[in-house]
Amino acid sequence: MYRYDEFDARIVKERVDQFRGQVDRRLSGEILEDEFKPLRLQNGVYLQLHAYMLRVAIPYGQLSSRQLRRLAVIARDYDRGYGHFTTRQNIQFNWVGLKDIPDILESLAEVEMHAIQTSGNCIRNVTSDHFAGAAADELMDPRPWCEIIRQWSTFHPEFAFLPRKFKIAVTAAEHDRAAIRVHDIGLHIREKDGVTGFEVLVGGGQGRTPHIAALVNEFVPETEILDYLEAIMRVYNRHGRRDNKYKARIKILVAELGHEEFTRQVNEEYAAQRSHEKIDLPGGEIERVHAYFAPPEFADKPAVSEGFERAKAADPAFARWADANLHPHKVPGYASVTISLKPVGGVAGDATDAQMMVAAHLAETYAFDDIRVTHAQNLVLAHVALDDLYDVYRELDAAGLSTPNESRITDMIVCPGLDYCNLANARSIPVGQAIQEVFKDPDYEADIGKLHINISGCINACGHHHVGHIGVLGVDKKGEEFYQITLGGRADEKAVVGDIAGPGLKADDVPGAVKRIVDTYRDLRTSREERFIDALERIGHEPFKEAIYAAD
Amino acid sequence: MTSVRPKLKPEVPKAVTAWETATGKVIWMTAEGGWTDDPSDLGVFSGDEAEARLASAQAEEGAVTDPYFMEVTANAEIAGRETLRETIRAVGPTTHPEFHRGVS
Repeated sequence: MYRYDEFDARIVKERVDQFRGQVDRRLSGEILEDEFKPLRLQNGVYLQLHAYMLRVAIPYGQLSSRQLRRLAVIARDYDRGYGHFTTRQNIQFNWVGLKDIPDILESLAEVEMHAIQTSGNCIRNVTSDHFAGAAADELMDPRPWCEIIRQWSTFHPEFAFLPRKFKIAVTAAEHDRAAIRVHDIGLHIREKDGVTGFEVLVGGGQGRTPHIAALVNEFVPETEILDYLEAIMRVYNRHGRRDNKYKARIKILVAELGHEEFTRQVNEEYAAQRSHEKIDLPGGEIERVHAYFAPPEFADKPAVSEGFERAKAADPAFARWADANLHPHKVPGYASVTISLKPVGGVAGDATDAQMMVAAHLAETYAFDDIRVTHAQNLVLAHVALDDLYDVYRELDAAGLSTPNESRITDMIVCPGLDYCNLANARSIPVGQAIQEVFKDPDYEADIGKLHINISGCINACGHHHVGHIGVLGVDKKGEEFYQITLGGRADEKAVVGDIAGPGLKADDVPGAVKRIVDTYRDLRTSREERFIDALERIGHEPFKEAIYAAD
Repeated sequence: MTSVRPKLKPEVPKAVTAWETATGKVIWMTAEGGWTDDPSDLGVFSGDEAEARLASAQAEEGAVTDPYFMEVTANAEIAGRETLRETIRAVGPTTHPEFHRGVS
């Protein structure tokens, strides 16, 4: 993984020192909240319902065991023993005191971490495929390009005060696990005539006006991608609305101009800047960054592990976990392991300090010191030998981390909702837990197969409800929580915004409605191989909508 | 200001709530004009007195952050459209009983 050079270390240290001074002035009353708010937001500090919340950047979701251990220590010493992993592959601490945050940031800087680009109207943490560098279906490892974009975007003076926040995601696999089509910019690494480059999509996003990104350029060569990104950012910075925060994202600009006109303006800007100020990323620099992401030294192993097969035959719980939580690896004899943070009745994305310590230990012992955070709020050990899986499983099981549900119905994306968030209208977590309760029978859940439920507690859509196969949106109706169901959303390479099924439901009615949707699917699917989303697209939404509002 | 909360009519009983700046802890103004982290000690105000109390809270914006009115009954019980939100602020997240106020 990338290691800080002297400049990175100095930048982060100076930022901590600067923020310490700003916090001191706030605590002394020298500056007030209205003045302090933009400063704290540039350092990942929000004020939520119960306390300050600190969001820490995890660039493209990659952590070492040393870093995860430090996060665990912060959870233990400054929070209430928890960290909350987010859909931006970051981590949030929900109970920190403002007076402690400079010390926390100093502690993070010691392990090459910070809270820069986790808030404010800047280019946020670049996200990627959580199986990057491991997935059997990727063209190449996208992380070096995430790192190059991170370095280019960090403290870029021209893009420090954008009209609104800006999110970039990068993938190199045909199956899009990074949700690039619901990002401000989505980049798909391609090869053309032996040259590496990027398919560029712009203007995706969720929130109150969801959009799927438009294809703006089929292929930008790798040496020119930073120039091209600058052209996009300049058009947005110049024409993006600043008079209305709800219309300030680039998706609105692309929609209002039309994607052809937007593309024309980007290309015009690109041509203009290429003639006199191109970045012209040198090949040596590209190679230098790639060297940080060289594959680990995998052992030569057979594709089938006798020990793994024996353990599955002997331990049905292990077999069930292996069936759900393993992903094919590009190297024979290895797999990628999802550590589910979605136990039935738990809080999606939460890990205790002790659980983080266990994950760090497993990464160090069995997984080349490599941990990923997924945008679905789970953790991943990207490279584990099949021979070691049973040992890994037993340690996970002892730590309460062996829930066998990756991409299944109880593996929901759930925002913090009204239990924590100052913006939320309704609670999300209890609704998710109530739905989990309905589907907690592992045989029932396995029979349902892959099905994404995403839950948001307000229209800002932090729980990605627009792109859940089944989406649940909490709304407030005269002080009472109601939940609107959407159907047919998806965030992958066929990304679609879900359709609102009809009037909102009371919280108590949501689990039953979801069960009726699922049972309708089980009745109508051609076979167990036909996934929920495929059946929904084949059949149409009508029978499922009827099921939602049918009497119990 | 962080919170944009519903406007309350002058005659509606209300409390003044905020966050303690140094810790982020939720606090309420007492009847005497001090601050407490125990919601059972909150003061109930209305009319001009309430406005004066809020103004004095805003004048303390070094020690406290983002004070605003929340609706209560004359008996100091949380009331109105934001009952759920303010109950969660007062008690703690419904998902973590061990984090509830007063639970050690």
